[in-house]
Amino acid sequence: MKFATATPLLCLLFTLWMTACQTPDIQPTPEYSDDLVIEGKRLIAQAPRQDKNLWRLRVGLIALKQNQANEAKALFDAAMPAAGQILQTDASTRMAQSLFSPENVKGFHGEPYERAMGWFYRGLIYWMDGEPTNARACFRTAQLMDALAERQQYRADWVILDYLDGFISAKLDKDGSAALQRAREHAGAIALPDYNPAANTLVVLQTGFGPVKKSGGDVGEALVYDAGHSDVAQIRITAASQTVTAPVFDNLTLQASTRGSRAMDLILARKANVKKVGDTIGDIGTVPGVVLVDYEDTRDAGLALLGVGLVGKFIGNSVEPRADTRTWNNLPQHLSFAALQLPAGEHPATVDFLDTTGAALPDRKKSVLLTVQAGRDTVVLVADR
Amino acid sequence: MKNVPAILITAALLGVAACTNVNSPNGPSVTELRPSERGFVAGLGIESQDLVTISDKMARGILGAEPIANAQGKPVVVLEPIDNDTRFPIDQDIFLTRIRVALTGNANGKIQFVAREHIDKLERERDLKTSGQVTGGDKLEGNEFKGADYILTGTFKAISSRGAAGASDYVLYTFQLINPNNTDIVWEGFHEIKKQGKDDVTYR
Repeated sequence: MKFATATPLLCLLFTLWMTACQTPDIQPTPEYSDDLVIEGKRLIAQAPRQDKNLWRLRVGLIALKQNQANEAKALFDAAMPAAGQILQTDASTRMAQSLFSPENVKGFHGEPYERAMGWFYRGLIYWMDGEPTNARACFRTAQLMDALAERQQYRADWVILDYLDGFISAKLDKDGSAALQRAREHAGAIALPDYNPAANTLVVLQTGFGPVKKSGGDVGEALVYDAGHSDVAQIRITAASQTVTAPVFDNLTLQASTRGSRAMDLILARKANVKKVGDTIGDIGTVPGVVLVDYEDTRDAGLALLGVGLVGKFIGNSVEPRADTRTWNNLPQHLSFAALQLPAGEHPATVDFLDTTGAALPDRKKSVLLTVQAGRDTVVLVADR
Repeated sequence: MKNVPAILITAALLGVAACTNVNSPNGPSVTELRPSERGFVAGLGIESQDLVTISDKMARGILGAEPIANAQGKPVVVLEPIDNDTRFPIDQDIFLTRIRVALTGNANGKIQFVAREHIDKLERERDLKTSGQVTGGDKLEGNEFKGADYILTGTFKAISSRGAAGASDYVLYTFQLINPNNTDIVWEGFHEIKKQGKDDVTYR
């Protein structure tokens, strides 16, 4: 073998040998934990900037249901603007109004029922921390979120928010009767219990799955709701030989769907009109244009018509009238509340979720350990799901 | 006159720089403001400029109040938490702390505040002294914890509304100096602020 022939062969062998020795690029399996809050924080980090608040709210509620109040507090504080903050115009809101961007490019702050729920949970955390006046402030802000409803009778009509506002006032030796009266007016046939200012164990209850947003209208410009679901009609709590049965105070599907039209709906309707006009011009112009182009006598007119049609199609396809359907999707369908007066100490409690016939739903039964401290309220959140 | 273009360019650059508003969110990412200044994230709630304005006004009012101005010796004042009846969660101590600091700085020793909020820790320290576990018990002559000549407290009330036209919040801040012996309100001051605003149309 001549050296000239051997050299390329040797080079080839050396290259193959080096390639064989190269460590394969092994991607380690991601380490997932079974802690939903930790996994949720990973999702928050990965979420696009405009969706981070949505994920914070979802994970915050998971943390609250898992008795991680400090985690929940941090997440809700990061997700929600301050109580008096005005949601200002920025680049993302301008983009959301533009013809060529969908609504969901704006930062997520939710619809009024979602904002109200954010403040409701934040209030519960304040109450758990022994700050009832700040809890009451949050419940009032939550109620105000619902004041945007289009029809008068649906404005600020959350029952539990007024009920707890008055309840805290009564516990602070103030007059909570006006808030209780408002709550009873909005509750209609539901019998709300009188306040017991000496009650020191407050159980906030939630059941079922809340409403989900979806797009409606001809081209997705309308915001409509798929109703949530809960088969629970009452909740029975038994602790230290006391039994309290709590009615359903609020229905989130009702709160979401009675909001009425939004200012943004007019903008989306305008976008939808532009899209529909563009599509129509496209349909009218393109097909006849193609036909006319085939004949020499009408070719010029056909080309013009085809051009107009294509421009129409382009505009129709570029306009984005879709409503923002991002949903805080782990909210419940029903909210309820019960108050007990218990001596200091630990009390095992049983929570039975009852259907419309009054029968306990066996797969929903919850056991809770109530730790009652002297001189302060014990506040717990119990969910059937 | 060869330098005219250079001068004009320099002037234009300086002009642009001078027009940059430090309060603009498009300006520097961190801007230090005076607490009494309204920032670019101002909202309808209780904010630092309200805190500074109100606490300075109340401190001046308290110093001019007859029972304080003409007091024999140093009246002892105890702070009691604010009753917050608004829709805004607040740190209940922050207003009274700001008033106390303003008074301590400006009253030239005319008022004595006592640290009643730390009474548990103070009692523990006193018990350690009287039991001889730590030094200093021999200096104590009975109970030296001072009772209040006056209690300083306050109430915040609000009227809040929200609708398609925007949101509005009126907050009435009242402070009282109360004689605990006879429940007399010996001084009262108030401040009221109304704010209104409107969310961006995409959030309405």
